[in-house]
Amino acid sequence: MKYQHMFVLFEHDDGNALNVSYEMLGEARRLMDGFNRKYALNEKVIAILLGHNVRELAYKAIDAGADAVILAEHEELRYPRVNLYTKVICSMVRDRMIVKQAAETTSDEYVKPRYMLFGADSIGRHISATVLAELESGLASDVNKLVIDDVMITHQYKTNGKPELYKHVLFMYRPDFSGFLWTQILCLDNKNPTIAREYSPQACSVIPGVFEPIRYDGDARKRVEEGYARIVEYKPEFSSDDLKYRIVSRQIIRDEIGLEDSRVVVAFGRGIKDDPEGNVRMIEEFASLLNAKVAISLPLSKQPFSVSSALKEKYFIPARVVGSSGKKIAPKLYIAIGISGAMHHLAGMKESDMVIAINPDPDAPIKDESDIFIQGRLEDVLPILIESIKGSERG
Amino acid sequence: MDHANDNSINVAVMVKLEPDLSEGNVSYNPDGTLNRSQTKNILGPHSAIACRAAMYAKTCYNAWVAVCSMGPPTAEIALKDAMAICCADELHLYSDRIFAGADTLATAETIKHGIIRMGRRIDLVFSGHRAVDGETGQTGPQTAWKLGFNFIGNVIDYSIDVERRMVRARRKVYLPSLYTVLEDVECPLPALIALDPSYKDEYRRVSERLRYARLEKEARRRVMDYKSYLRIWSAKDLGVDVRYVGLAGSPTIVYKVEKIPKVKASRRARVVDPSNLDDLREVGNLILNIALGER
Repeated sequence: MKYQHMFVLFEHDDGNALNVSYEMLGEARRLMDGFNRKYALNEKVIAILLGHNVRELAYKAIDAGADAVILAEHEELRYPRVNLYTKVICSMVRDRMIVKQAAETTSDEYVKPRYMLFGADSIGRHISATVLAELESGLASDVNKLVIDDVMITHQYKTNGKPELYKHVLFMYRPDFSGFLWTQILCLDNKNPTIAREYSPQACSVIPGVFEPIRYDGDARKRVEEGYARIVEYKPEFSSDDLKYRIVSRQIIRDEIGLEDSRVVVAFGRGIKDDPEGNVRMIEEFASLLNAKVAISLPLSKQPFSVSSALKEKYFIPARVVGSSGKKIAPKLYIAIGISGAMHHLAGMKESDMVIAINPDPDAPIKDESDIFIQGRLEDVLPILIESIKGSERG
Repeated sequence: MDHANDNSINVAVMVKLEPDLSEGNVSYNPDGTLNRSQTKNILGPHSAIACRAAMYAKTCYNAWVAVCSMGPPTAEIALKDAMAICCADELHLYSDRIFAGADTLATAETIKHGIIRMGRRIDLVFSGHRAVDGETGQTGPQTAWKLGFNFIGNVIDYSIDVERRMVRARRKVYLPSLYTVLEDVECPLPALIALDPSYKDEYRRVSERLRYARLEKEARRRVMDYKSYLRIWSAKDLGVDVRYVGLAGSPTIVYKVEKIPKVKASRRARVVDPSNLDDLREVGNLILNIALGER
């Protein structure tokens, strides 16, 4: 067995775990439980943990679903540096003795991981790319659904046009930028004899906030003591050249928008298109009357409209995006203006206490996520709402 | 330009031809998906940011700049647009039917060969954050790794210490569920920088602004005659192993594209007809009450 186990990069900032680490481990646990039932019992979930004084996190990883943790602790690994981390991660997962210590069911033929998961954030996005470039295999980014199954494939290159059975394939689903299409990406060996090549691991980066974490009862220590779970220490090696990339300073900055803390959030989407400048000004006024923060849907962060640069720089920015690739918020009131309601947008706002949508299209998906659906154009609706709110305030 | 001089800086920019998602140019199907045949293609907005970073190197460090792209023959439009931004000295298009259908790994393989064959020692490569259509953000770091360059992502500002042959960069590190970190890093050249969408080029000195204006003018002149700066490379010209590029060299395939199923309605909307002003005003009151914390 040359390829084995599902490896998950446990992401953290100097000991503060990112939620996506727990979410990935939860999903890895579910996938591996299914794999163990369907195929074989000798494959495990192994967390990869790099850092400085982070042993505590290894126990948390076990509580979150890992069978084992390979831990590389070193002062130089306190914060991620792409090239350095890539080198350590790749030598770790290719080290058969270390992987055997983590999972004694590891085969003597073990070469590389079967599956790998990373977070689709500023840490995992780049490290996943360089790790997979080094391991020479395939990577899907920004995935929000994962399935392991067998599949018959007929492909011009992969199978030379003949049907071939592929076993335990990781189906990696990623929503496209519009949020309406789902692409299934598979990483497959070339079975075509003229270009025969094995591609492993099958890897992806996972959108934060999508998968459910699981928590065991916090008995990780006991399980490690009794040998049910393992923490393996790995001694990272690097040269002085590897350390010439230096982190000079770091400064944590507050989120300048504050969507998460806002009682009322007013969001707008492509429905502003007939008069982008005027409509955004009107939405701005409406939001300020309510002391609300302003959010946008994902397509608007691509700046599809010509508006003044003042508005563009203030509103049409990724930091205001609500959705699975933006913020997930749960305000008292969410007002969706001219937003159709693609799945990834709904994922970011559906926990709101109350949702009011303004949209002329009675079939817009946002309707199913709304408590009040004002079926009309924002140009007709907003002036009346603004006027009535101003009137009430005076009264 | 004398490239034997060790104080010279040679820059490559990786760009991509992408669908233009701006209103008026983009076309959507009735189901909300992109209508690719009706949507025109341009230099991607993140690629344009990479070009601005290259223009900064040209203005402030007198860098030699080449722009490269892998794509169909029509991708030369992206190179022409790029030239207008960064006053490129050379344009390189890697275009061969063998390259078609490449995933990020196979694309990075092609671009690596292109950069190696630019005929100069390349010190700095710029790439965009991610393409608007593919949106993976993987090609930059994978190209860096294959070239053996340091990779610096999410860069919002940078400077070069030409004497020490070091690059210094400020990164914006987004850590969802935690916070955002501003990180200043330093590493030796050669390096590949992926620009964050919030990258800003600031020309602080008058001499820089004057030089920028001169280069802008020069760029306009060059664009008129961009074809004479353009070299089109086939797989054979690049000397790539055809098993490692295009579809043959792509570990991943797109197996299926489907519509994302509609989520089950989790709320039952009360529908308000806005022509009924009383109803609308009532909603206005409700909104105000929630905003004031009275509900």
